Amino acid sequence: MKRLLLFVLTVPTFNSVYAQGIYDVSKIPADLTKNASVVIRNEQQTYEVKSPGSASLDYKTAMTILNKNGEDASIMREFYDKFSSVSSLKATLYDGSGNKIKDYKSSDFKDRSAVSDGSIYEDSRIKYLEFLHTSYPYTIEFSYSVSYNGVRSYPMWYPASSWGHSIEQSKFTFIIPETMTFKYLKSKGLATDSLKTKGKTEYNWSCKNISALEYEPMSTGLRNVLPWVTVAPNQFEYDNAKANIENWKNLGTFMQDLSKGLQVLPEATKAKVQAIIKDAKTPEEKIKLLYKFLQANTRYVSVQLGIGGYRPIAAEKVANVSYGDCKALSNYMKAMLEEAGIKSHLVVIGNDMPSLNKNFASMNQANHMILCLPLQKDTTWLECTSQYVPAGYIGYNNSDRTVLLVTDEGGRLAQTPVYKPADNYQKRITKVMLSEDGNADISIDSKYAYAQFESNLGMLLKDPTEQRKTVLNSLSIPNMEISNLSYSQPDKNSAVLDEKIGLKSSQLLTKGADKLFLTLNLLNRQDGVVTPIENRKTYFAVDYSFNDEDEIIYILPKGYKVEFIPKDITIESEFGKYTAKFASKENTIVYTRTKTMTNKKYPPEKYNEFVSFYKKIYQADKQKGILAKID
Amino acid sequence: MIKINALLLSLFLLACTSYAQQVKVNHKVFKYGKVDLTEFDTKVSGVDSAASAVVLFDVGKGYFDFTAKGLVYVQDRHTRYKIINKNGYDYGNLELQFYKSQGNGTSLDQLDAATYNLENGKIVTSKINKDAKFTEKQDKNFTLKKFALPNVKEGSIIEYKYKIISDFIFTLRPWYFQRDIPTLYSEFTATIPEYYRYRQNANGFLFLNPTQENVNQSFNGATLNCRQYNFIVENAPGLKKESFITTMQDYVSRVNFELTSITVPGEAYKEFTTTWPKLVAGLKTEEKFGQFVDKKSFIKSLLKGQIKGDQSNKDSMLVSIFNYVKNNIKWNKETELYTSETNPKAIFEKKAGNSADINLCLYALLKEADIAASLILISTRDNGAHPGLPMLTAFNNVIVGAKIGENVVMLDATDKNHCVDLISYSNLNHQGLQVDLENESAQWVSTDDNKISKKNINYVLTMDNEHKLSGKLYLSSSNYEGLARRDQYLSAANETDFLKDYKSDKPGLGIKNYEVTNLNNPSEPLIESMDVEIEDNVEEAGNLAYFTPLLFERTKENPFKLEERKFPVDFGFPSEEIFRMTIEFPKDYQLDKMPKNEKIILPDETAAFTFMFAAEDNRIMLNSKITVKKPVFTAEEYYDLKELFKNIVRKQAEQIVLKKI
Repeated sequence: MKRLLLFVLTVPTFNSVYAQGIYDVSKIPADLTKNASVVIRNEQQTYEVKSPGSASLDYKTAMTILNKNGEDASIMREFYDKFSSVSSLKATLYDGSGNKIKDYKSSDFKDRSAVSDGSIYEDSRIKYLEFLHTSYPYTIEFSYSVSYNGVRSYPMWYPASSWGHSIEQSKFTFIIPETMTFKYLKSKGLATDSLKTKGKTEYNWSCKNISALEYEPMSTGLRNVLPWVTVAPNQFEYDNAKANIENWKNLGTFMQDLSKGLQVLPEATKAKVQAIIKDAKTPEEKIKLLYKFLQANTRYVSVQLGIGGYRPIAAEKVANVSYGDCKALSNYMKAMLEEAGIKSHLVVIGNDMPSLNKNFASMNQANHMILCLPLQKDTTWLECTSQYVPAGYIGYNNSDRTVLLVTDEGGRLAQTPVYKPADNYQKRITKVMLSEDGNADISIDSKYAYAQFESNLGMLLKDPTEQRKTVLNSLSIPNMEISNLSYSQPDKNSAVLDEKIGLKSSQLLTKGADKLFLTLNLLNRQDGVVTPIENRKTYFAVDYSFNDEDEIIYILPKGYKVEFIPKDITIESEFGKYTAKFASKENTIVYTRTKTMTNKKYPPEKYNEFVSFYKKIYQADKQKGILAKID
Repeated sequence: MIKINALLLSLFLLACTSYAQQVKVNHKVFKYGKVDLTEFDTKVSGVDSAASAVVLFDVGKGYFDFTAKGLVYVQDRHTRYKIINKNGYDYGNLELQFYKSQGNGTSLDQLDAATYNLENGKIVTSKINKDAKFTEKQDKNFTLKKFALPNVKEGSIIEYKYKIISDFIFTLRPWYFQRDIPTLYSEFTATIPEYYRYRQNANGFLFLNPTQENVNQSFNGATLNCRQYNFIVENAPGLKKESFITTMQDYVSRVNFELTSITVPGEAYKEFTTTWPKLVAGLKTEEKFGQFVDKKSFIKSLLKGQIKGDQSNKDSMLVSIFNYVKNNIKWNKETELYTSETNPKAIFEKKAGNSADINLCLYALLKEADIAASLILISTRDNGAHPGLPMLTAFNNVIVGAKIGENVVMLDATDKNHCVDLISYSNLNHQGLQVDLENESAQWVSTDDNKISKKNINYVLTMDNEHKLSGKLYLSSSNYEGLARRDQYLSAANETDFLKDYKSDKPGLGIKNYEVTNLNNPSEPLIESMDVEIEDNVEEAGNLAYFTPLLFERTKENPFKLEERKFPVDFGFPSEEIFRMTIEFPKDYQLDKMPKNEKIILPDETAAFTFMFAAEDNRIMLNSKITVKKPVFTAEEYYDLKELFKNIVRKQAEQIVLKKI
């Protein structure tokens, strides 16, 4: 009896000790829970290249979700397509002390299509599982394998790529046959281990006890702080295509081969091109006319299937259906330009992505295609998917970056144009007629150019009700009613948008005693105060360079005079320049403000200087004038 | 608890009024591929003058057919658009979603589509290409078919004609007469064999010109008498979204059909949800509803083991059970009328579930503990108002009603911060159907919250010579205000993040010694207190110092900006916001002038604003109160509300001016 009792008692004790072994939250070092919402407890990613066209991935991770902010990470997901399959899915949920709550069944894993926004068809799919638990912290553990039967790129290892994620340990193993070469890039200071066994080379990168980063505004990314490795093939085989991408020249050759012979136009289209350009004298004129034709006659429809993700649809086909994706439309435009005797190159570009790394050729640094026209005087670039921008304007997300021209001689790196602060301008003249009862008639006349043209272009396309709603919500003028509103692009050949607003405010002047207070910067105030950060870690930048010029003319109400106007202000720093001028004459006050910012990337230690620069602007933008009754 | 729902009644009346505005419509016939030159001249005007496209016609025919699988419902659809500008290009890509489950599903039978362009006065037709048709298998139930039409340009006319076959005959695919672009002509005809009875449900603000007649249709050689229902709407304007609404679904004109009975000669009469009691009887035997709550063994074991409580005190037992469910099943953010499993045990083991999983578990536990409880079926705000007629499919959620003493309270265990009689905001759609499974009966009950949700903001401050304000801030939030604040607090990773977020729109505010009371006691107001220091909010000009006394709490803009409104304003719950402030200022200052007291009250005191100001030596006291006493205001009351808020914005923006002596 006694022995039996002992046996019954020891089993549960043993179980709980065992279960609490690995994932008990109390075992996480304190440094790793600071500022963290997710702790990567143990991650292992093993990628093995079998041949240029086949590979496999074994992935396993355990993560502790510390609080609600970490819930976004509480999911397993893996994408796959016709050339890959996901198998051996396993997942387990543990509570805070590391006790197992449940193992997931294979029916708990969901499978669905993963067609990206703006695309009509792709064969991309996703397998996923969302973990849910009633209380924090909890730990999730999952693993799966992927086999690839067609390769374009190798994976990246970037175990903590978000704010608030810390790493207890993570390891990346990359195995490749000795007969094959590859290349890699890694974060500063990360050690590379390699060993050779049985005709294969195994590389290992790992990290331990990496603390979480607290959110930093305006950050340009976490890559300078956290460990990462990116690996890329030199040769690959995918969907019956073979490529050598040792360098950008070769990658360009591969792209050139994919698009070879696809620039044949139907006779009818050729005739149309000739008719369009028949009166044009210069290549510039011809380009403008053909670009206009392209914009009026095609629409963006994206279909990405296998190698079709890299090979344009033939120009002949586009001519027949009048739609296509960035590759199809760029290639169609190239064909039309060719017919007009103008040479052009397809351009591989990362839209809203960093520049291509000049010394590291790979397929996953780009997501877009545009066209480059090397003219005698000047090089012109065309964004062929836009329905609205003028010829030659490629948009902020394509500008100022290293791209790859696809030429007959292979790939050639080039730089796209830079849009300077003075290009991305906003110029605004506002007239304000004040009356004694606090009412005001206001007319606002604004011009937005380049990047600012792009960010306001949406207004041009909205219907009037929506336009009014947006304006009402965006202007901080109290109790206003819009009397008229219009948007136009006066010259289709330049990226400048005109906005005209007429409105009435029943309460522009703040009433206080016999004095009337007037915030002189009516429209374009620096909003919110950015707070200083001690020991910032990441680089920062503003979204884009710009130059804002505002002039506001106030006509005072009858019976009032200017009692006080602020002194002129100039604030200058390496981040930008700000001026505010206040002038009064008889019954008018003229306020002029300029603000110029550059989107240079600044090192973290400069951030607090930037904050104090912004604070000064914030204060300057709140300056008020005082009007007093004439006795 | 039972009262006729005022909103429902007013909507009903409105619908009746629009029915009165009958206009003669002409039935039109359109042939596929026969486009008239004049259709290219179609212009849009008035409120729709900026429309990106216009529906020239949209004609649907619904009927039944016999196939190898049995009776199926077929909907033919023939639609033609004119594309006005590039924003309308999206209509050149058609997407149709199909559903399949347990061998039954919907499918596409045939599709024709073409684009017509006018070139040199001639119509050029481009038919859809074979390789422009795509099938995306979204998941195991849904398939998306996509079609990209060729040569779509500004001014093109595009046309689709297709047939959708459905194995589901219980509810027929609804027909919408209106969408966000204008529709010149929309017609729907449903032909239903006399053996099948459907309830019709029409909705929206347009008159549907309903007519019906008897026709014959042949099925497998046999001729059957059929009832044919026809609806035509001409010149339906584009429908635009407005703020403070439940869902646009409540305002769009549509018609749908739900099966009520089948009487095939020689077969037994089958009746479906023709009355509420029958509907309830159906729910009772439903595997993922009535049968779910009948599976008691696990429920019993929970009550014997895990759930601690005083079995003899029903009220305290109710709270124990409610708390147990709240804290042990996590809501997976899915709102459902039916459970995802067939047994409560599976839900408690998963520790996660949809709203029905959670609330039916709660119900089963309450019943087992011998507490009087009922289920309340809800159509959430997103789902739109329930039409009121016995239709099961219009519900999408379920909560629990339980008796405490003589009162029926509502319980919704999907959020830890809920308490007795505090259900989620999405359920505040004014009414719910209280269902008694045992007696197979049902009655409408109001789900409106009569308690006013209060927010109190109380500053006690001293101003120093540098114009810095320092002192105490007390916040108290009850009911839905408290729920919102608790959800905010708990969704932040920690208190520091929560306060950072709180300060983010309050420039110059510094917080120390933050304390929170009643965080885990959702039936009491959430009380917060803190020491504050406020910089940069008092400004100076010459010998004057001035500031906006409401500091960060001022209503900066009128939420009602549109000049007129067609729909009711639906706040969801009544609310009150009280701002109190006391400021002591330095002795060498004096008040330059005192703001006046003001009081604005809407008719019947449905909403009010008071602003009171007092001064004594070097101390200022201020009280600003906004009260909204009812959840819904009619479109007629919109103007009053707008005026009220206009005055609130004006008054709260007034500044206090101090003068240095």
